Amino acid sequence: MAGRTGAWALEARAIVAITRKDLRILTRYPLEVFNQIGQPIYQFVIPSLLLGATFAVGGRAVGLEETAGTGDVAGFLILGMLVAYLVGAAFWGIGYSFKREMDQATLEPAWLTPVARETLVLGRGLSALVLSAIGIVLMLAIAVALFGVRLSPAIVLAVPAFLLAALAVLGVAFLISSAVLLIKEPVFWVDASDALFAAASGVMFPITVLPGFLKLVSFALPTTYAIDLLRVTGLGARPLLDPVLQYAALAMLAAILLPLGRAVFAWADRRLREQGTVGQH
Amino acid sequence: MDARALTKVFERGRRTWIQRLRREPDHRERFVAVDGIELRVEQGEIFGMLGPNGAGKTTTMRILATLLLPTSGAARVLGIDVREQPREVRRRFGAVLSGERSLYWKLTARENLEYFAALYHLPPRRTRERIESVLDAVKLTDRADDYVERYSMGMRQRLVLARALLPDPPLLLLDEPTVGLDPQAARDMRERVLELRSEGKTVLLTTHYMEEADQLCDRVAIIDHGRIVALDTPTALKRTIQAEEVVRLEIAAEADGVVSRLSENAQVARQERADGLLHLTMHTVSARDFVPRAFDAARAAGATIKHVEVVPVTLEDVFLALTGRALRE
Amino acid sequence: MLLLELRAFGAAAVREWRQLRRYPTFGLGLLFWPIVLPAMYVLQARGYSGGDQRAIDAFAERSGTNEIAGFLFIGWSMYMWLSIVLWGPGTLLRTEQVRGSLEALFLTPASRIGILFGPAVAHLVPALWMYVVVGIALRFGFGLVVEPAAVLRAAVVILLAVPALYGMGALFATLVLRVGEVVGPIQVVRGVFTVLCGITFPIVILPDLARSAALALPPTYIIADLRAVLLTGADLVDLVPDLAILLGAGVVLCALAAVAFRRAEAYARRGGRLAQY
Repeated sequence: MAGRTGAWALEARAIVAITRKDLRILTRYPLEVFNQIGQPIYQFVIPSLLLGATFAVGGRAVGLEETAGTGDVAGFLILGMLVAYLVGAAFWGIGYSFKREMDQATLEPAWLTPVARETLVLGRGLSALVLSAIGIVLMLAIAVALFGVRLSPAIVLAVPAFLLAALAVLGVAFLISSAVLLIKEPVFWVDASDALFAAASGVMFPITVLPGFLKLVSFALPTTYAIDLLRVTGLGARPLLDPVLQYAALAMLAAILLPLGRAVFAWADRRLREQGTVGQH
Repeated sequence: MDARALTKVFERGRRTWIQRLRREPDHRERFVAVDGIELRVEQGEIFGMLGPNGAGKTTTMRILATLLLPTSGAARVLGIDVREQPREVRRRFGAVLSGERSLYWKLTARENLEYFAALYHLPPRRTRERIESVLDAVKLTDRADDYVERYSMGMRQRLVLARALLPDPPLLLLDEPTVGLDPQAARDMRERVLELRSEGKTVLLTTHYMEEADQLCDRVAIIDHGRIVALDTPTALKRTIQAEEVVRLEIAAEADGVVSRLSENAQVARQERADGLLHLTMHTVSARDFVPRAFDAARAAGATIKHVEVVPVTLEDVFLALTGRALRE
Repeated sequence: MLLLELRAFGAAAVREWRQLRRYPTFGLGLLFWPIVLPAMYVLQARGYSGGDQRAIDAFAERSGTNEIAGFLFIGWSMYMWLSIVLWGPGTLLRTEQVRGSLEALFLTPASRIGILFGPAVAHLVPALWMYVVVGIALRFGFGLVVEPAAVLRAAVVILLAVPALYGMGALFATLVLRVGEVVGPIQVVRGVFTVLCGITFPIVILPDLARSAALALPPTYIIADLRAVLLTGADLVDLVPDLAILLGAGVVLCALAAVAFRRAEAYARRGGRLAQY
């Protein structure tokens, strides 16, 4: 039997194999690649930018300056999008992909291998992250080249926030995966919760415009802080809270969500074994 | 591998949170899929579970494959408890459970196997050699780089078997391995299963084809309504019915009186009216002696025998004798 | 003969409706998205306007109305109608193809028009329902009061838009048979319409080239006309040129769809390819 490091290496290899498999299949649907990367741009960024332009006064976003402390509409949206890609990766790239595998009947053979269940989640996470990274780079390039967005170098200060948010969102991905494995028709729920999660995090607007109770929801989401810190450091936007506090909140949420997600996923796996529904579709 | 008092009860319907909180009595309908199964599979044998659809074969198989938790009882695979150490168990078997659809159709056979090799924790240096070896074993080497979507059903089923062989497991679980295959593909698959035994592997398979069980298995457990109703070698099982031959008769008769007359000369295993004819299955020591007497008996009862067929005893007849029903029903 | 055709048409519609209803979260989606999707953009507009009167005036000047919520809800309702059409009638033939039942359809003597457009009728129900939800949300969520006469005028616009939109759906349905993929093309087509047709913005702010492209797409007219009758009190008479263009586009698109469908069938007969996927 392999030692402990050996076992880790085998799981890591499985993660890479899952990612390779996902990306290989994707390349066989070129339009799908185009959509996964481009859809947020044409379905969300451009309509949002044009709505912003409708409110511009002499080329200046005076309203946004008031609500967010920055007049850079494109920069504002694109930094929000960076985090929205993470959320999308968790909900669709990881969570919903289990439903796809179930429909294709390929989940059960994977379930029959000695690989750790969590590895199946992490493998999908990696492939979703690769796609997101391409989207993020593309979006930043468009932002800089087409919309003249100038990000302050201080944005590197928000990179740890982004990574912490990624860990917390991974916890969320475990939760969504559990739900997808147990719910029969998850499409609507995944779609709706992904949209609400992104919106409440302030991807498309400053959360200060939300009614009071929804604002509370926003403050419970790790992504809210990551987006805000990116905008504060990159664009000089007005922070929602003291950045130190935001970092503390992020670290706390990651520390709660990741173990919680893993525990729920383990419970879901057990439920599946009781019901024997992993092969059903 | 052994199973002791294995039981699985499914509950139909839902129990709401409110019902749980109020601790209302649980009114869900219960369905016993596996009802106290006891079996022991010896190393190197092909062990078959034979029974009609819904008998509990697949549920038993899924418990042994760690996909399903038993409600009670225990099962051990190579001495390891399936409930307590499922991952350890999964390291030790390969399985063909979900049929030929369970592959990535947009990947080639080789790419499919590469993916599953990593999931089976095959070390990188052995992966390539194992893939070549299993492709060769199922005769897919020359088509290994085609997309699976271009495969025939039989080829896909062979690839599923190749996947199960990847980790070179001592034990194979095959759930209805030939279902849906054309006769040639089914024959190929059976030959492969026999080869596996000659390589020293243990095979547990389920089937509802009695010829398959007869031809492949060293021992067969006949399962009905979640229970094992008989367990032995095919030859011994066939010997349990006191007959050498089976005679099937189609008789045009108004009354049933003919049956009692015929039963004086042989055992009536089954009777059924269909298409205006009485269909009888008779177990007899000698058809040569019985058939002329059957004609006499029919004439005496005012009936006419329209058709006679004499066949050797099969596991189908054993099942019929044990349960009063045909396997196909 | 005509009666038989009508019955085949009706049967296709009824069958489609039964299948629609069986999709469990279908109803939930039709309640959720027509409210939540536009509401998110209303919040975004709030973020863009702040309390700044200059920004609000700028919006009113470009869009011709200061009913921001109404403006956005109408825009997104068009997007959702388009989604219903693309996902419904637009995927229909492809679904039959994957199921292997497309050939069976071709073998029936019923006219191809019935096969192509019959099921679309069933998809008018969710579209109408969506408009009702949008109306209720605007009235009670955002206090937008519209006269009954304006609602009636909007209904006329919607009715006149049906041939154009469902013609697009049928054309799309036939084209994806050759592509062999549904999700990708739907996203792309929907993306193009979102970017061009003025769902979240008045098309006057588009660069010239993009504006010309927008004016070639029927949904642009549907959105603009619905906004005109519901938000700025326009009369149908004012919209006659637009509505004529819409109807004309409807006739052309339906004809194109029928031709494309015939060609797909002929292609299938020659190569026997249509039954495969």
